[in-house]
Amino acid sequence: MEKARHNGKAIEVVGLTREYITRSFFGGVSRVTKALDGIDFDVATGELFGLIGPNGAGKTTTVKILTTLLTPTGGEAKILGLDVNKDLYEIRRRIGIVFGGERGLYNRVSALDNLRYFSDLYGVDPAVAKTRIPQLLEAVGLADRAQERVEKYSRGMKQRLHIAKALVHDPELLVLDEPTIGLDPGGARDIRNMIREMQKQGKTILLTTHYMFEAEELCQRVAVISKGKIVALDTPSELKRLVRDISVIELRTYGVTSDYVESLKRLPNVLRVVSELDSEVQTIRIQSPLGADLLPLVTSALPSDAKIIDRTIKEPTLEDAYLRLVEE
Amino acid sequence: MGALSELAPGKKVEGYMAFRGQVLKACMILTAKLFFADPQWIIPSIIAPFIFTLVAFFLFGGQASTGSFLLYLVLGSGLMGMWGTTIYGSSNSIGFDRWNGTMESTLAAPIPLSWIALGRVLFNTFEGVINALFILVIGLAWFQVGFGVLNPGLFFLASVSTFLSLSAFGLLMCTIILLSRKGGFITNSMEIPVYIATGTMFPVSILPLVVLPFAFLLAPTWGIEAIRLSALPGYTGLATNYWLDLGILAIETLAYLGLAFFLFKRVEAYAKRNGTLEEY
Amino acid sequence: MKSTEGGPTGALGAGARLKIALRVLKGAFFFGRKGLIIWDSWDMWVMQIVITPIAQIGFFALLSIYLQYPTSVTQYIVIGNAIQSMSFSAVFAVANITSQDKWQGTLPSTMVTPANRAALFIGRAGFQVLLSALIAAAGLLYAATIFGVSFAAADFAGIVVTVLLTSVTMIGFGLLISAVGLYMRTAMIVANIFLFVTLLLSGVNFPVSELPGWLQPVSWAIPLTYGTQAARMAIAGTSLAGLVPTLGWEALDGVLVMFAGYALFTGFENLSRRTGRFEEY
Repeated sequence: MEKARHNGKAIEVVGLTREYITRSFFGGVSRVTKALDGIDFDVATGELFGLIGPNGAGKTTTVKILTTLLTPTGGEAKILGLDVNKDLYEIRRRIGIVFGGERGLYNRVSALDNLRYFSDLYGVDPAVAKTRIPQLLEAVGLADRAQERVEKYSRGMKQRLHIAKALVHDPELLVLDEPTIGLDPGGARDIRNMIREMQKQGKTILLTTHYMFEAEELCQRVAVISKGKIVALDTPSELKRLVRDISVIELRTYGVTSDYVESLKRLPNVLRVVSELDSEVQTIRIQSPLGADLLPLVTSALPSDAKIIDRTIKEPTLEDAYLRLVEE
Repeated sequence: MGALSELAPGKKVEGYMAFRGQVLKACMILTAKLFFADPQWIIPSIIAPFIFTLVAFFLFGGQASTGSFLLYLVLGSGLMGMWGTTIYGSSNSIGFDRWNGTMESTLAAPIPLSWIALGRVLFNTFEGVINALFILVIGLAWFQVGFGVLNPGLFFLASVSTFLSLSAFGLLMCTIILLSRKGGFITNSMEIPVYIATGTMFPVSILPLVVLPFAFLLAPTWGIEAIRLSALPGYTGLATNYWLDLGILAIETLAYLGLAFFLFKRVEAYAKRNGTLEEY
Repeated sequence: MKSTEGGPTGALGAGARLKIALRVLKGAFFFGRKGLIIWDSWDMWVMQIVITPIAQIGFFALLSIYLQYPTSVTQYIVIGNAIQSMSFSAVFAVANITSQDKWQGTLPSTMVTPANRAALFIGRAGFQVLLSALIAAAGLLYAATIFGVSFAAADFAGIVVTVLLTSVTMIGFGLLISAVGLYMRTAMIVANIFLFVTLLLSGVNFPVSELPGWLQPVSWAIPLTYGTQAARMAIAGTSLAGLVPTLGWEALDGVLVMFAGYALFTGFENLSRRTGRFEEY
């Protein structure tokens, strides 16, 4: 019956704008920054929707508006058919939020205390909470350490507790703001598995992330936001088609410097070079329509004391599409 | 790990006051747990007032031999203890979320901020009462005086009323901390001035005229008067009547509450306009 | 906590030293409102230099007036509290020094080298001495302007020396208390108890002679006690030469306190190295 009310759309955003006004010393307006410049998108009920973009693009602003923590300066946003400006408390009762990072928990008390507190704060019937909370702790793998102070938890454990906290009141919609940030691969994988499970429960999920492979893996549709505007919105495979004209040469090298990377960028028909030079084995990804044809040029530019350990021609990924979209 | 699919559905509690009562209780419990997790609370609550009292005792010298005078002294100390927790505890009941990183979690809750603050403030004030009792007991034992109050019933009523007025004041201080960058400065600076202005150790009547309006606007000033009138034989103080004192106390307390709830709405609007109450 | 053997003497490795430093910092950070003084905002200055001293002096002065003591007693109390009001800043100076390092991120490198640590401390302590002295001076200004203490016969050289010396010696006391904070969980409580106790024991509100006999030696172990006495003498007109006995005792006491503090620091460091434990906050 709730679905009927909001036409199967859990989130509806129309022309959403958010401006920040910096005032000069004497109170006059010195600068207007547009964090969001008229964005539109929908999320269907039960969908797992991703929002990706560089820092400062407007992801956090969007999330804050949708979770009723920030008022928009223009446009409209509806959560489960309810207006974010008017039906604040009703929306909050029905959504769960996971903030990324370490904040959002009371560290000096136990996980159990945290869940009980938030359960009461969200109006969950105490009789129900008695059953639900232990189940949640079990589900996120914290049951045997539930009585310990959160300050003793690892980052991964805290993140799992965040998820339990977001679910404690059985929300219909979940907003996950970079939930795997700072986690080791095992911890991040656990979180992703939980996200999939929550979607299977029929929950609608809005996920923001920095990790393209995560968006590609989990999300049914992804919106790419850059400088306050949505520059693309589609399924991950469709987004990748935007870069189907290019191939990606991935090199694993030893002993290269940034000079080499710069020289690669200057090669003809090279669209983009992304490199990770910090580890012992450096990874360089070169985007070019030439594909394998570029290899001789790439090899000849190599300094004598460096070595290419491995080279692969790859299909472009969501990250490649993303980079093209946000850099244009 | 267990399955997220096997969770009991999250049925909500029905009713306006039932929900708010649950929130109040949850906030009181959480505040209590956080409070006991951190041993610093002793200082403004017990140590400072007790030392101030000991100094006053030595200053009082020979005069401090009569039972009722000692009781006066010890009561004053207890009252300072209650103020301590109000100023440091209650006024930071929401502000604490800022440096704890839980501000967003608090703002995202489906209940007005004022109710969360109220729950926390109530615990803090209650804790202040316990401190006051603790100081009272130590003081009475140290000075070896019996606890014979003039009229126990009226004393109890005055004490409870003062407790409520301190809660309301704490709630108001909470909004000031949140709304003003200098809020912390204001509340920290207030500690000794309120000991003076509410007449904890000496009657308000000896204060310079310029300070008196400030003193009279503090509801607990009247509560303290009522407490003394009901406890100490022969006490005249401001030459008011017990019921008049309670009346003024009640009016001012309600005014604080009204102002606090109004200001909390401003706090929430401000938070939403700017996306944050984080100052740090 | 496993101890890392490093260096020819088997001294604590960098990791363990860092842990000590962080423990001091944590203690410093939680050293109450009065302890954590962030000096870059004007309101903290106003609070430390104007509001708190006036309020504290006012509280006890009013008490004296209420009790109808003669003006001389009230003035005794005013001067005592004016000097005492610097102690919060002075005692927490050590905590401030280490916490400043935290904000600037320089503590790890400084804590690893003992020589640097000492130099750092002395450098920063100098600033705190001036600050505390400023607070006491402000207190005396209020004594003169608000509370009616007459400085007509005062020996200002004597006052200046008293204030500066008391500031230095109280910082030494801060070292002592911080050392306790290294090992004990309740460092801040200890510090605050101490500071409040000076109100009782340091001749601030009434002469030490009015305290029970067994308590008086404790009073004379606190540098502040000499400071309040010397300040009163200087304001009454005693020359700097006449103050030398009192100030001499204060200086000696200050040195002993500083040694005790340093010994305690080293002692706790060794203790934690032996037991391999730190008290977690």
